[in-house]
Amino acid sequence: MTTDGPTIPGVTDAPAGTAPPAEVPPVVEFRNVTKRFGDLTVIRNVTFTVPDLPNKGEFIAILGPSGCGKSTVLRLIAGLRPHHPASEGTVLVQSKPVGEPGSDRSMVFQDYTSFDNRTVEDNVAFGLECRGVGAKERRERARQWIAKVGLNVDRDAQKYPSQLSGGMRQRVAIARTLILSPRIILMDEPFGALDPTTRLNMQSLLVDLWREAQATVFFVTHSIEEAVYLGDRVYVFSSAPGTILREMALPAPHLPPKEMQREPEFVERCFDIRDTIDKLEASTRAGDD
Amino acid sequence: MTIPSRYSSLMELRHQTPQPLRSLAGVFTVGLVLLVWWFVTRGSIAEDRMLSPALLPSPGEVVRSFGSLWTERALLASIAASLQRVLIGFGLAIVVGVPAGVVAASWRLFEAGSAPFVLFGRNVPMAALIPLTMMWFGIDETQKVLFIFIACVPFVFSDTTSAVASVPDRYVETAQTLGASELQIVGKVLVPLAMPEIYNGLRHLFGLAFGYIMLAEVVNAEHGLGRLLMDSQRRSIPQHVILILLIVSLLAYGIDRLLLWFQRGLFPYRTVDA
Repeated sequence: MTTDGPTIPGVTDAPAGTAPPAEVPPVVEFRNVTKRFGDLTVIRNVTFTVPDLPNKGEFIAILGPSGCGKSTVLRLIAGLRPHHPASEGTVLVQSKPVGEPGSDRSMVFQDYTSFDNRTVEDNVAFGLECRGVGAKERRERARQWIAKVGLNVDRDAQKYPSQLSGGMRQRVAIARTLILSPRIILMDEPFGALDPTTRLNMQSLLVDLWREAQATVFFVTHSIEEAVYLGDRVYVFSSAPGTILREMALPAPHLPPKEMQREPEFVERCFDIRDTIDKLEASTRAGDD
Repeated sequence: MTIPSRYSSLMELRHQTPQPLRSLAGVFTVGLVLLVWWFVTRGSIAEDRMLSPALLPSPGEVVRSFGSLWTERALLASIAASLQRVLIGFGLAIVVGVPAGVVAASWRLFEAGSAPFVLFGRNVPMAALIPLTMMWFGIDETQKVLFIFIACVPFVFSDTTSAVASVPDRYVETAQTLGASELQIVGKVLVPLAMPEIYNGLRHLFGLAFGYIMLAEVVNAEHGLGRLLMDSQRRSIPQHVILILLIVSLLAYGIDRLLLWFQRGLFPYRTVDA
């Protein structure tokens, strides 16, 4: 979807219907996807294609107000019921219809979902344990990842989740996901419950980790700043029923979030998106009447 | 008359009484009961007492009768016999009820199928099961153990089911997207996360099972606290009746504390209030 907004440097509307190279199938493709629960339509006619870029994943920020069906998009990719399967349309992951959930599409939730009975180390190693990786290798790799997400291996590895702060729990959740090298990472407002400072720290951690992970990340948020900072591409969703209002490409973050948020271009981009949302929401509402 | 303001808050609605005042209040009421008990049973000549010793022996008489209960009436053998029955019967209920409860909570069709039986088992008066168990299992030890098993298993099953069912879906979804299979989710996520709740439920149910020994030992028990209690009444030894009641409650309380202590060691990541 394209819009004729004011031209801001660094913001380019992505070309409509981005055609992927013929031989590489797109990572994720939504074709006219609609999901209904009874009379309630949560998302309507959502269409997008995320191409598979060689040796590089994209960071897709899905931005929209609460209850606009952003999470539904993630759960359709993950194959989680009751949102999966879609009522209409097709959801394709690497050209195949989505089946049962799996570790190739790993999800990080907003709620803290660390397993209470496991130490940090055993939480991080959970996926490897399910794959049948031996105890010694599991432990080694878990410890590497504990360090990578900025936790102290000696101090934190043997702690239980109840002894951790919210930010630390989300670090564990990220390590637990990335250790499996998933092709697609689904993040459902993972920093939504954190205080502002922790949130910014987690954003820059995520950027650092994602650069080497080479995964395609779908990151749901209702914070415009977060979407603009993290996203290579932002899908702006309207509220219920959710549909894509606008799709735009953004430059990759080159500074930590605190500094980046002071840059005039950054501020301008955020205002541009806010104006777009206001304008399009208003026109959609008018069109509905 | 006005109460000083620092004490007036003690009578506020739902106000939490601070320690050590809390313990003190308990000691006070027990002391009060003992005092009344002593008062209505005072005097060495039975006819002069306000209450006849046949109805209520004095506190001193009850305490002094401990010796004869211990030696002549083999208190320890009765405690051992009762505990053995409860442990075996309740142990069987755990071995059957917990796995079945986990299965029912994981694959809900089984729960739906078992619902009528759980409803029956939880609501049938326990004493009503005595004739049935005697009909099926005779009047020996088997009947006593299986009576406790049958009485407890519906509760163990349904408590386990609700403990497993109350693990939030988020954990299951997280495990799914980390690549766990169905069986792995049950074994590595649902059961461990529900375990503190299951254990806590079992601890409470053990108290219930312990209460059933009275019913189990009505017929043909050589030893047992229930048997001892009924004999004391038949043989008109009121001191022993009172004493056994106290011992049974203290024993149940002691076991509960022991299980709670284990609970804290078993699940260090979960703090449980007493």
